[in-house]
Amino acid sequence: MTTTVAVRPLTITACGVVSPAGLGLGALEEALRSGVDDYTAPDNPFEGAVDGYPPRPLWAVPDLRVAEHLGRKGLRHIDRFTMLGLIACKLALDESGTALTDEDRADTGVVMATNTGSLVSMLEVGRDTLLQEKPYLVNPARFPNVVTNACTGQIAIRNSLTGVNVVVSGGQAAGLAAVRFARTAIGDERSRRLLVGGVEELSQVAAWGWHKSGALHEDAPVGEGSAVFLVEDAEAASTAGRSGLADLLACEVGYYGAGDSEWRARGLRSCVERALERSGVGADDVDVVSLGATNHRRLELLEDRVVQEVLDRPVPRVRVSEVLGELYSASVPLQIAAVLALWREPADHARTALVTSVGGDGNAGCLVVRECR
Amino acid sequence: MSERRRVVITGLGAVSSIGIGVENFVAGIREGRNGASPIASFDASGFPYVTAGEVHDFEPGAILERLDVERWGRSSLFSAAAARLAVQDAKLDPELLSASRAGSIMGTTAGEAQVLQAAVEQWVAKGLDNVDGRLAAMTPVSQIANSVNHELRLTGDAQTIPTACSASNMALGYAYDLVRTGEADFMLAGGADAVNRACHAGFYRLGALAEDLSRPFDLNRSGILTGEGGAVLLLEPLNHAVARGARIYAEVLGYGVNCDARHMVNPDAPSIAECIRIAHRYAGVKPEQIDYICAHGTGTPTNDHTEVSAVREVFGERIPPISSIKSMIGHTMGAASAFGAIVCGKALEDGFLPPTANLDKLDPALGDGLDVVPGRARPATLNIVQNQGLAFGGNNVVTIFGRVA
Repeated sequence: MTTTVAVRPLTITACGVVSPAGLGLGALEEALRSGVDDYTAPDNPFEGAVDGYPPRPLWAVPDLRVAEHLGRKGLRHIDRFTMLGLIACKLALDESGTALTDEDRADTGVVMATNTGSLVSMLEVGRDTLLQEKPYLVNPARFPNVVTNACTGQIAIRNSLTGVNVVVSGGQAAGLAAVRFARTAIGDERSRRLLVGGVEELSQVAAWGWHKSGALHEDAPVGEGSAVFLVEDAEAASTAGRSGLADLLACEVGYYGAGDSEWRARGLRSCVERALERSGVGADDVDVVSLGATNHRRLELLEDRVVQEVLDRPVPRVRVSEVLGELYSASVPLQIAAVLALWREPADHARTALVTSVGGDGNAGCLVVRECR
Repeated sequence: MSERRRVVITGLGAVSSIGIGVENFVAGIREGRNGASPIASFDASGFPYVTAGEVHDFEPGAILERLDVERWGRSSLFSAAAARLAVQDAKLDPELLSASRAGSIMGTTAGEAQVLQAAVEQWVAKGLDNVDGRLAAMTPVSQIANSVNHELRLTGDAQTIPTACSASNMALGYAYDLVRTGEADFMLAGGADAVNRACHAGFYRLGALAEDLSRPFDLNRSGILTGEGGAVLLLEPLNHAVARGARIYAEVLGYGVNCDARHMVNPDAPSIAECIRIAHRYAGVKPEQIDYICAHGTGTPTNDHTEVSAVREVFGERIPPISSIKSMIGHTMGAASAFGAIVCGKALEDGFLPPTANLDKLDPALGDGLDVVPGRARPATLNIVQNQGLAFGGNNVVTIFGRVA
């Protein structure tokens, strides 16, 4: 029934990045070009828990400079996960230059990719039900943090954004789902502009989860971070004379967890091909591929092979998790950010990137990004 | 977007505390059946309140055809089972479905909270390095939709939307968008959640938990009962449904979504009213056309008062009959709005007003002219109905359904 139709591009007009490389796109660019000298070790967020981290590289965001970005008020019960997202949004909104009017804020929404939200906040409650004198003696002021949409709720509250407000979970590929959701919401005029991105937090629980799952290579680092993009309809931005960093073209996803690895490879391949077709971009036009399965056993090779098969020539690859660590549902947003970071250095033509993702759960997809000129 | 199609609901799947399968579930709703019972899924000793709306007779293996039930958590099993039931109910060829551009959008509040709690128990007992590694792959929130795609072998979007207690209305709205715009040909949409210790503790501490019975709109209402289950609807284009002679429960006319952006927990009446107006605008309907409201109706003093105020703001003097099915199945969190949507679909098809159970005395503070359909369902011809979801984080989503003549 369905026909393949061209998509309406979205334009990224501003971008906020919080990562183990530091704050901002500049820090990420430097990390991608020359590495990071000293990574910051993560804290222990669980009061009273004696468990340490598993024996593998763990890269935390160095210094959030919370007060500088968010002020000092109203943060007492906000968890660190939400801080990461709040600061990335703040950086994106600041970078956009013009402050949003009240009318703008009513027309602005939030779409964030994450796995579970703050695992720390959820498990804190879970632990309290076992360790407190009575099982119900959980902290009521922090209980609302357990919902996976706590971060997007706070982003809305602190920025008075009353537009569509949503979280998408899709494992490794969740950021692609966020882009798809954003396109529908903007295409349907549910919000004129959206903060679209993702956030994940490093804790010993997340680190042990990765360690015990066996999904990653033994020495693969686990990281954390958030990237958020202010996006709007490309045509609307251009009509209003607002310049963009890049356009988000087609974004195709699918679930291939019910078959073997060949099934997944074919699935990813069909996503890449559909995304190129719906973007009106040829395989020859692709300048760079930002990969998502880096350090994932088996999937890393699968992703690389599929990209090679479709493009049929050597194209430069960016592996952002090599410098930021494993970022799970924040991967795709930081893969996009990595492309933007590298494009800070000017070129003689408008460049095109593929952002690919394939997760252990079976979700896979591909987004086409084109530099604005 | 070039293509716009009308989208209808042709399959309903329910795994609930008052019945499994849509006929059993809706029979329970119509008679005002009480799904509350003593908590069995965790050790509730030490809690002052020990009642919840659990699904005791759920045997996933009896419904599921593909999923290995040992490798998926309870919430995912709820969603996959409800999806399988919805496809059966739609009498749609599963092979056709899996060969089509089809996927699932599923709402949840706590995802696989029971799996997480099991991990926490192992952690506390034996340390993090001795937690069963298999749990890691079972905990992601995204498993709620993945399980649906896995069970039905769907290769389209598998998207979980964890926006708390309005999540399945958001899922329904987004799935409708995907079918309407031609991004997908069929979508399964709904939600799932499982009763769990952390949620029970949290709502108790917030003072929002009822002791033994959920009594929405009642003078003596005291809060929610935590509930669980899976609720899934099959969406397909109207022309396809007509061509294959499918039973059509209802058409999805549109939805509204907004965010209070004021408070994480307390609902905001003007913002909810605005969300209802947005829904009406997108659905192309006027307040006077709405024949019934399936309320969020949690049964906390604050929610019901705020929600009714918001409805009054939009509807003025004439408020349509408004009821809360949470009085029967408890607050099923991320599945709540999808259960509401199923009831709306059946109410349109069969012609009845779903009731509010457990009502002794309507709270006079809610104002005059309020028909909460106390006790049991009443026969009524309905043409257009609305289904309300409100959530932590201030996320409001209202869906509108119409009878296809």
